Amino acid sequence: MSDVAAVLGGSGVTARPGGVDADLVPGGSRLATLRASNKLVELWRARELLAQLVRKELKVRYRNSALGFLWSMLTPVLMTAVFSVVFTQIVRIPVDDFPAFFIAGYLVWQFLQNSCQGAIHSIVGNGELIKKVYFPREVLPLSHVFSQLIHLLLALLVLSPYLIYSRGFGVLLHLPTTLLAIALLTVFASGIAMWFAGVNVIFRDLQELFVVIFQVWFYATPVLYPLALVSAQMGERFAWIAQLIAFNPATWFVELARLGLYGSVTAADDGGALLVDGPPAWPALGSVGVALVWAVVMFVVGYSVFLRRARTFAKEV
Amino acid sequence: MEQRRSIGQLAGAAVDPTQPAVVVDRVTETFRLFHERPSGLKERLYRLRRASYTDFNALEDVSFTIEHGESVAVIGPNGSGKSTLLKLLARILPPDQGTVLTNGRVASLLELGAGFHGDLTGRENIRLNGAILGLSGAEIAERFDEIVAFAGVEHLLDTAVRTYSSGLEVRLGFAVAVMVDPDILLVDEVLAVGDAEFQERSLERMRTFRDDGKTFVLVSHDLEAVREMCDRAIVLDRGRVLFDGPVSEGVELYKQRVVSSSAPRVDRRRGTRRVTIDDVQLLSSDGELASEVAPSSHLVLRVRLRALTEVEVCSVGVVVSRGDGTHLYELHTTWQGVGVGPLQPNQEAVVEVRFTAHLLAGHYAIACSVTDASGRETWAVVAEAARFAVQPAPGGAGLVDLSASAVVADGPVRRTGDGKAGPIPLPRLQRRQARG
Repeated sequence: MSDVAAVLGGSGVTARPGGVDADLVPGGSRLATLRASNKLVELWRARELLAQLVRKELKVRYRNSALGFLWSMLTPVLMTAVFSVVFTQIVRIPVDDFPAFFIAGYLVWQFLQNSCQGAIHSIVGNGELIKKVYFPREVLPLSHVFSQLIHLLLALLVLSPYLIYSRGFGVLLHLPTTLLAIALLTVFASGIAMWFAGVNVIFRDLQELFVVIFQVWFYATPVLYPLALVSAQMGERFAWIAQLIAFNPATWFVELARLGLYGSVTAADDGGALLVDGPPAWPALGSVGVALVWAVVMFVVGYSVFLRRARTFAKEV
Repeated sequence: MEQRRSIGQLAGAAVDPTQPAVVVDRVTETFRLFHERPSGLKERLYRLRRASYTDFNALEDVSFTIEHGESVAVIGPNGSGKSTLLKLLARILPPDQGTVLTNGRVASLLELGAGFHGDLTGRENIRLNGAILGLSGAEIAERFDEIVAFAGVEHLLDTAVRTYSSGLEVRLGFAVAVMVDPDILLVDEVLAVGDAEFQERSLERMRTFRDDGKTFVLVSHDLEAVREMCDRAIVLDRGRVLFDGPVSEGVELYKQRVVSSSAPRVDRRRGTRRVTIDDVQLLSSDGELASEVAPSSHLVLRVRLRALTEVEVCSVGVVVSRGDGTHLYELHTTWQGVGVGPLQPNQEAVVEVRFTAHLLAGHYAIACSVTDASGRETWAVVAEAARFAVQPAPGGAGLVDLSASAVVADGPVRRTGDGKAGPIPLPRLQRRQARG
C-alpha cells in the first residue's frame, strides 16, 4: 500500500506533515491498475540495468575461455549427434532430416530451460545486493532470460546455413514465424523465471526439484518427436497423453518455432503412423493464439507472484 | 533543474518543491525471527506444527518529516533501528504499517561497491554499478571520467576488480555512488573508509552536496561528523523516536543516553516537557560571567528553571565535555541526594553547581538537563548551555590539571630559567580542540 503511495508521489497523493490524506489515495482497482502500469514503467526505466546485467552474464561466462561462445554450441550439437544416431538408426522416428528436426526444437527448448535454471538462483544468489540497494528486483531473473535469448539468436545464426541447406530457403522466408515464436516464448519464459525465482526464496529446495521437473517436461514436449506422431500413435486408451501434451504450453512454442525453422509435420490422411513432412510454412492463426494466451497468462501470473513476494525479499534472502 | 530519470522514484522523480522531501508517517517495521526457519518444501512437509518465531519491531510508530535541503542525522545505539529506517527510505524494505513518502530522486550509500563483480574490469563494473544505482547509459558515460578520476583508478581500468585491494574497491564504489547526483542522499556509516586523504575528499563531496541545498540523511556513530554535517538529529532508541530536533541537543542527549545506562526519554510531541530551563550562567568565584579561565579555577554553574506543570521533584544534570565531544564529567543533583521540588506551575528555581575546573588549556562545553528523580525521563535539555576556554598555563600539559609539583628528592638541583618558563607548547591533541 505504502510503496504504492511512494510510487504515486508526484501524481495525486499529497504528503504533508502528519500524514497522507486518506481520501486522496485512489481506491481499489484503479490503484491496482496504476500500480501495475507504474511497475512496468519502472521496469522500462531500468532497462540500462537489465542490459548491463545481461552483458555481465555473457561476459563472465565466456571471459576465461578461449572458445567463448562456441562452447555454448557444444551441448546442442552433441545432443543432436547422439539423438540422431539413436532415433534414426536404433529407434526410428519417421521424420525427414532428423538432425534438423531435432535441433530446431531443441534450441528453443534449451532457451526455456536455461533461462529458468539461471533465474531460479537469481534472487537468493544476489541477497547482498538486494539488502543494500533498491532496484526493480525483476531485472535479476529477466537478465537470465535475455542473456539466454542472445545465446539462442547467435546459435540460430550459426546453425542457419545447415537448416537452409537441409530445409531450403523457406527457412529464411518464414523467419517471421520463427521470430514470433521466440518472442512469445521470451514472454512466457520471463513469467516462469520470475515465478520460480520468487518462490525459491521461501522454498530453497525448489532448485533440486527443478531438475526433475524439467526432465519430465522435456519428454512431455514434442522436441524429440513431432506432435502429429503422438495423436497418430496413441489409441483410445492413451488419448489422455495426447491431450496432456497438447495442454503443455511448451508444446505450442516448440511447434511454432519448428514450423518456421524446419517445416510442418502432419499425419497422413489414412490415420496410420505415416507422417507427411512439409517445408517451412505460415502458422495457423489458432496455434499462434494459443501460444499468445499462454505467454500473456504466464507472464501476468509469474510477474504478480513475483511482485507480491518481492516486497519482503530484503528480509528473507 | 534538469529532470533526471530514476529507476527508484519514477512518478515522484521530479521534485515537487511544495511538498516535503521525506514523510514518514506512523511507520512500524516488524521482523519475524524464526527460532528455526523452515527453508524448504521438505521441512514444511515434515514439520506439521508451525515454525516457532517471535515478532520483533525494529521500528515502532515512527513519524517525522524532512524538508528539502535539510541535513538530518539519525543516531542511536546499535540495534535501535537506524539502518532499518534508512532501508525504508531507500525503498529496500516496505513499511509493514504506516507510510513512507519520498519526493525526488533517492540514492543510498548503504554499502559501497555492492554488486561489483570480481571477474569484470573496473570499467565494466563502473557501468554495472552505475546502472544498479539507477543511472542511465548516457548519464554513466557523461560522468565516467569524473568517477575514474575521483577514485584514482585510471591505471587499473581494464583490470579485473578481483585484483583490486579492498580499499581501492571501496573507493571506486564511493566514486560511483556520489556521482548519482540525487535529490535525497542516504548515507550509512561509510564516511570511515579509505585513507585520510580520501576521507577528506569524501567529506568535501558531501559538504558540497549539502551546501547545494540537497536533502541529506546520515546514519553514523561518528558524533563529530554528525555535528559537522547535519543541522538536525533524530535519536532512535529501541525502534522509537527519542528525540527530534537541533543536532547539538540530539548529540548531547545521545551521549547522555550512552554514558548513563538509564535511558532518559525526551518526547517533545507527547508533552513530557514538564520543566523548562530558562537561563544558564557560568560564573567565576567572584560572580563574574566566566568564558576564559585559568586552570583549576573555581566555577559556579547557575541554572534557572521553571516548572511547566506541577512537579513533585526533579533532578538537574550537568555534563562537561571537551570540544571534540569527549565526556569529562557528569553529575545529577539527585546523585548527591539533592532534588528540586515540589514546584507549582510556573514556579522558578535556581540551582547552583559549584565545581573546580581541573582542566588544562582547551575549549569545553557544559550541557544541562532536567530529569525526574530517577533520571529515566528527561524533561528539558540544553545541549550547549555554556562554553568556556581554559587558558594555557605553565606547569603541565594534557587534559586534566593534576596540580603536580616536582622536587629532586635525591641529588643536585639546578633551577632552569626563572621558574616561570613561558607557556608550554600546546600538544597536538589540544591544538585540535582549540580549533573548534
